[in-house]
Amino acid sequence: MFTALHFAIIMPFIAAILVPFLYKQFARIHTGWFVLIVPVLLFIYFIQYIPLTANGQTVTSVFNWVPSLNLNFIAYVDGLGLLFALLITGIGSLVVLYSIYYLSKEKEALNNFYVFLLMFMGAMLGVVLSDNLIVLYTFWEITSLSSFLLISYWYEREQSRYGALKSLLITVIGGFAMLVGFVLVYKMTGTFSIQEIVASAETITGHPLFLPAMLLILLGAFTKSAQFPFHIWLPDAMEAPTPVSAYLHSATMVKAGIYLVARLSPIFAVKGEWLWLVAGFGIVTLFWGSFTAVRQTDLKGILAYSTISQLGMILSMLGVGAAALHFDSIDNNLYIGATTAALFHLINHATFKGSLFMMVGIVDHETGTRDIRYLGGLMTIMPITFTVAVIGSFSMAGLPPFNGFLSKEMFFTSMVQITNLGMFNIETFGVLFPVIAWIASVFTFIYSMIIVFKTFAGNMHPGLVRANIHEAPLGMLISPIVLISLVVIFGFFPNILAHSIIEPAMASILPSLLGGNEQFYVNIRFWHGFSTELYMTIGVVVIGLLLFMSLRKWAGIYRLFPESLSFNRLYDQLLVTTENVSTILTSWYMKGSVRQYLMYIMVFFTLILTVVLFGKGAFTVNTTNLAPISIYEAVLAASLVIAALLTMFASTRLKAVIGLGATGYIVSLFFVIFRAPDLALTQLTIETVSVALFLLCFYHLPEITKGAKKVRFQPGNFIISLAVGVTITLIAISASSSKLFDSISSFFSEASHDLAGGDNMVNVILVDFRGFDTLFEILVLGIAAMGIYTMIRLRITGRNRP
Amino acid sequence: MTNLLILPILIPFLTGVILLFFPKQITAQRTLSLISGVALIAVNIFLVIDIAQNGIRTLEIGGWSPPYGIVLVGDMLAGLLVTSTAVLSLPILIYSIHSVGKEREGFYYHSFYYFLITGVSGAFLTGDLFNLFVFFEVMLIASYILIVHGNTKRQLRESFKYVLINVMSSALFVIGVAYLYSVTGTLNMAHLSERIASLDVEAPILTVIAVLFLIVFGLKGALFPLYFWLPASYAAPPPAIGAIFGALLTKVGIYSIFRTYSLIFTQDTEFTHTLLAVLAACTMIAGVIGAIAHQDVMKILVYNVIVAVGYVLFGVSTLNEPGFVGAIYYLMHDMIIKAALFLIIGALITVAGTSHLKQMGGIIKYHAKLGWLFFVAVLALVGIPPLSGFIGKLMLIEGGAERGQYWIIAAMMVSSLLVLYSMIRIFLNGFYGEIKLERADQHGTTKGLLLPCSLLIAVSALIGLGAEVLYPFVSTAAETLLNPEIYIDAVLKE
Repeated sequence: MFTALHFAIIMPFIAAILVPFLYKQFARIHTGWFVLIVPVLLFIYFIQYIPLTANGQTVTSVFNWVPSLNLNFIAYVDGLGLLFALLITGIGSLVVLYSIYYLSKEKEALNNFYVFLLMFMGAMLGVVLSDNLIVLYTFWEITSLSSFLLISYWYEREQSRYGALKSLLITVIGGFAMLVGFVLVYKMTGTFSIQEIVASAETITGHPLFLPAMLLILLGAFTKSAQFPFHIWLPDAMEAPTPVSAYLHSATMVKAGIYLVARLSPIFAVKGEWLWLVAGFGIVTLFWGSFTAVRQTDLKGILAYSTISQLGMILSMLGVGAAALHFDSIDNNLYIGATTAALFHLINHATFKGSLFMMVGIVDHETGTRDIRYLGGLMTIMPITFTVAVIGSFSMAGLPPFNGFLSKEMFFTSMVQITNLGMFNIETFGVLFPVIAWIASVFTFIYSMIIVFKTFAGNMHPGLVRANIHEAPLGMLISPIVLISLVVIFGFFPNILAHSIIEPAMASILPSLLGGNEQFYVNIRFWHGFSTELYMTIGVVVIGLLLFMSLRKWAGIYRLFPESLSFNRLYDQLLVTTENVSTILTSWYMKGSVRQYLMYIMVFFTLILTVVLFGKGAFTVNTTNLAPISIYEAVLAASLVIAALLTMFASTRLKAVIGLGATGYIVSLFFVIFRAPDLALTQLTIETVSVALFLLCFYHLPEITKGAKKVRFQPGNFIISLAVGVTITLIAISASSSKLFDSISSFFSEASHDLAGGDNMVNVILVDFRGFDTLFEILVLGIAAMGIYTMIRLRITGRNRP
Repeated sequence: MTNLLILPILIPFLTGVILLFFPKQITAQRTLSLISGVALIAVNIFLVIDIAQNGIRTLEIGGWSPPYGIVLVGDMLAGLLVTSTAVLSLPILIYSIHSVGKEREGFYYHSFYYFLITGVSGAFLTGDLFNLFVFFEVMLIASYILIVHGNTKRQLRESFKYVLINVMSSALFVIGVAYLYSVTGTLNMAHLSERIASLDVEAPILTVIAVLFLIVFGLKGALFPLYFWLPASYAAPPPAIGAIFGALLTKVGIYSIFRTYSLIFTQDTEFTHTLLAVLAACTMIAGVIGAIAHQDVMKILVYNVIVAVGYVLFGVSTLNEPGFVGAIYYLMHDMIIKAALFLIIGALITVAGTSHLKQMGGIIKYHAKLGWLFFVAVLALVGIPPLSGFIGKLMLIEGGAERGQYWIIAAMMVSSLLVLYSMIRIFLNGFYGEIKLERADQHGTTKGLLLPCSLLIAVSALIGLGAEVLYPFVSTAAETLLNPEIYIDAVLKE
C-alpha cells in the first residue's frame, strides 16, 4: 500500500515537477521560498517518529513495485534511518534558506537548481528509508546523478563539467559494483529485504560468495563516501554552488556510504575482513585527508579534504565498532563505544562542517575570493561570520567545550581500546590505529587554525580588490548561526541526543547484542579524568600549535611528493589513455574498406568452422547412398569450372557475359541429366533472358579495360577465398553424409497430385505448399524494381545530410 | 488457429502496396501511413493479449499442416517483439514526416518503410526456417533501398558496402538452410526441434551447423567479430532511417539467434552457448571501445547499438529463466531506446549543424527540452533505475550469476560504465559547455521532432516503472523458450 511515509519520500520529486511551473508563474518571488516548504514540512513529519524509535519500535510499510521480481518499495523507519532522515530534511531546510540569499534570482537558472536539489533530497530520503536493496540502489544512483547535475550547474565552466564527470564516473563505478554485490546477496539469501537478510545473516557467512559480495558493496560505500583512494572526486565537486557543497558534499550525500556500512553491519561485520577494511580505509583516509587539507589554498579545498578526512574518521569508528559483535551482550562490551562515537560524530560533523561551508560561502560572496593567500583581516568587518568560523573550526579541531571535542575524545578512546581486542591479528598492526589517529588529529588542528586565522586575522590583502566589504545580510546568516548554536548546545548537553537519536540508531547497527527488552544506554560526559585520550588531546593542541606557527618552514614536505604520481593524475591519464587506445584500436581495424571487412569475416568463418568441424569430429564422408558418377556428369562439371573461370578472367565484357551464360546453360544440362525437364526449361529461359539483357546494357557501357587498374595477384586473398570454398565444400560433404532423418519431401511427391491437384511437384510447391514464400519473393523483386527506379530518379543534392 | 496472426504482416504489406499507387499525393501518403501505424499497434497489442489468454497461436498458411506447409507461430516472444516494432515505428514515422523531406516522401519512402516493417514482423512470426530467410530478404531489400534513398554521395558509398556484405550473408543463410535440411530432412522449426531432441546420440554435424547459423545471424545482428559493416552504414542515411535500422534490423538477427539457440540448437549447449557467451562479452567490449573512440555523435550512438547486442546475447547464452527474462526485457528496451536516441541525436545534429562533438556546445540553452530528453534517454540506456534498461540488466546479472559467469558480468558492468562515459560526453560537451551558437545562428528547428522523441522516452519510462504489468508476458515468453515442448506441441499437435 502507498502510505504517507512513501509519500513523504517522493514528495520532493513531486515538488521538483512543480518547480519549473512556479518559477515561470511567480518570477518575482525567489523560487527558493516555495522549495523551502518541502524540507521544513518533512522535518516536522519525521520528528514525530522520534518517540516511536526511541522505544525500540520500527515502522514498515510496503508498496509493491515489481513483486514478481521481489522488487518492492518497502519504506522502513528505524533509529538509523530516522537519524539520517532528520539530517537530510533539517540541514536541507537550512541550506535552502541559505541558498535563497546566496543565489540571485535575476542571474541564475533557479528552476534547474531547485529541481536538482529536490531530486537529490528525495533520493537521499529514499536511500536511508528503503528496506529493499534494489530500491535503495535506485535512489543511490539518483543521488549520484543529481550531484552530477548540481556540480555542473554552471555548465559553461570547464572545471564544473570536469568535476561533474569525475564524480559521476567514480560514484557510478561504485554503484555498479554495489549492484552486483546486492545480486550476490540475493543469490545467497533469496531476498532483497535488508531486514530479512539480517535475520538470516548467520546462515550465509560461510558462503563462498559472502566475501565477494562484501567487497563489491564496500566499493560502493567507499566511492560514495570519498574514501582514499576514491576521494579524488570530492575536491573537484567543490565547483558546485556553495549551498550544494554544504548539503551534498559534506552533510548528506557523502554520508550515504557511511549509512550503507552502518546499515549492513549486522550482515557483514562478523567477519574480520570487514573490521580491517572499514577501519583500515577509514583511518588511512582520515590521515590523508587532513594531511592534504593543510596544503590547500582554496577555503573550499580545505573543507573538501577536511570532509574526506572526517568521513574516514567516522568509518574507522564504525569499523572498530564491529568488534562489539564478537561479544554476546552489551554488558562490559567496550567496543560499543566506537559505534556510539561514530553516530555522535556524524551529527557533530554535519553541524560544524555545514556552518563552515556556509561561512566560506559568505566570505566568497562578499569578498569575491576564497583563496587564503588573498584573504585576511576580516575579523572586524564580519564579526558574526568570524564567530561562526571560530566555533566551527575549534569544534572540528576537537577543542572543548564544543561537540567536536566530545566525539574526538570518544574516537581516541575507541582507537586505543581496539588494540586490546585480541582477534583478527589486531595485535600485529592494531597499534597503528591510535598512532595514525593522533597524527591525523594534529593536521586537523592545523588546518582548522588555518581556516580561522588566515581568513580573519592579520591585515587585509592589498590584492583583494573589492571595495566596501561588509557583513552578510541577515538572511544568509540565519542558517550558519542555527548550526553553530547546535555545535555549542550539543557540546554542553550531548545527552539530549543520546536517548532520542543515538540509542535507537545503535540498535539498528548492532541488533544482535540486544536481548528481549534491552536498550543501549548512552551517556556522554565531558570529564573522564586524566586518561590517555585527554593526554592525546593535549598533545594534539601543543604539537599542532607549534606546527601551525612554523608552517612555512616545513611546508616543503608537500613538494616531496611528485604531482605526477597522484591519484588525480592517474584518473586523468586513465581517461586519456582509454580514449586514445580506443581510437587507435578502432581506426586500426575499422578502415572503411569493404574488402578488408569481408576478409575479417571470411577468416573468422573458415577458422571457427574448420576448428569445430574437425575438433568435434563432424567430418564424415559417406558414399553409400550416392549414384555412380557417369562420364556426362564429369565432363559437365569440368566445363562448368572452365566457364566460371573464363567469366572471372575475361578481358572484355562480351567474353564475361558469354562465360556467365555458359555456366547457366551447363547447370540446366545438369537438370536434364537428373531428369528435371521443367527446371531445365526454367533455367534455360532465365539464362537466355539475362544474357540478352546483359548484352543490351553493355552496349551502352565502356570497355572494362579502359582506365581499369591491373589487379595484381594477391596470395593472401587467394588463400582466404580458397579456404572459404574448401570449408563450405567439406561441411556440405559432411552434411550430406550424415542424414539423420528421412526428408519430408516424400510427402510432396504424393500430395502434389492427390491433394493439390498438380502433376509438376516443383510448381505445386512454389504456388501452393509454399506459396507464401513465393508471394514475398515477388515482393522482393517488386521492391527492387521500385528501388532502382527511385535510385535513378531521386537525387538529393546540396547538403550531405538533409 | 487464428487469422489474427497474419495481420501484423498483412497490414504493413498492403499499406506499402497501396501507397505505391499515388506517390505524389504526400498528404494522402502521410495520412494512410499514420492510420496504418496506429492500426498496427492496436492489432499487435490485441494479439499479445490473445496469446496471453490462449497460449501460443498458430496459423497454417494455405491450410497445409506443418511440417509440410508454412506455419506462422505467435508465441509470446514473437508477440512482444512485433508489438515493440509497431510501437516504435509510429513515432519514427512521425519524425520522418518532419525530417526526411518531401522529395523522399514523394518517392515511395512510406512504401519502403512499410515493406521493411513487413519483413521484420514476418521474421518474428514465422515458424519455418526457409520462410524466415524470405522475410529476411524482404527486410533487407527494403533496407538496401532506404539506405540509399536520396542518393547522397555518402549514402551511395556506404550502401555499397552494406549491400555487398548482406548479400554474402544471405548466401551463407541459404547454404546453412541446405545443410540443415540435408541432415534433418525438415525446415519447420518445431519439427526441427522435435527431431533434434529425439536424437539419442550426439550429432557433431549439428554443432557445426549451429555455429554456421550463429555466423549468419551474427552478421545481421552485429555480433563480434562480424559487425564491421554496421557503423558507417547506419550513420549514412537520415536519422529517421538510422533509427529504424538501429532499432530493428540488428534485433531481427538477435531474435533469430534467440529462437534457434533455444529451440533448435540445444544438443551441444556446453559448446555452442559458451561460444555465444564469449562472443557476446567481446561484443560488449569491442562496441564500447568504438563508441569511445569517436567524436562524431552519430558514430558514438551507432557503436552503442553493437554493445546492446552483446548484452542480449549474453542473456540468451545463460539458458536459464532470469537470463532469458533479462534478455527479453533488455531487447524490448533497447529497441525503444535506440530509436529514441537516434531521433534525438538527429535533432541535435539538425540544430547544431554538425555531428562533430568538438564543434558543438551549449545547445541546452536554447533547446532545453531536447537536452533533457537526451539526458533521460542516456540514463535509460545505461540502465539507471527505474527506467527501462534497469530491469533487463538486473535480470541479466542474476542469470549470469546463476550460471556462474562472473567474468562476463564484470565485462558487462565495465562496458555499461563506458557506455555512460561515451554518451555523457555528448551531454557535457554538446548540450552543456560554452555556447557556440546564439539563437539567430541555429541551423534548423526541432519543430515536430520533439513529440516522437518524447513518446519513445515515455514508453521507456513505462516499461521500467510498469515492469510488473509487463512481467507476466515476459515470463511467459521466457518459459516458452526454456521449454521447447510447449512450442512443439502448439505447432505440431493441434
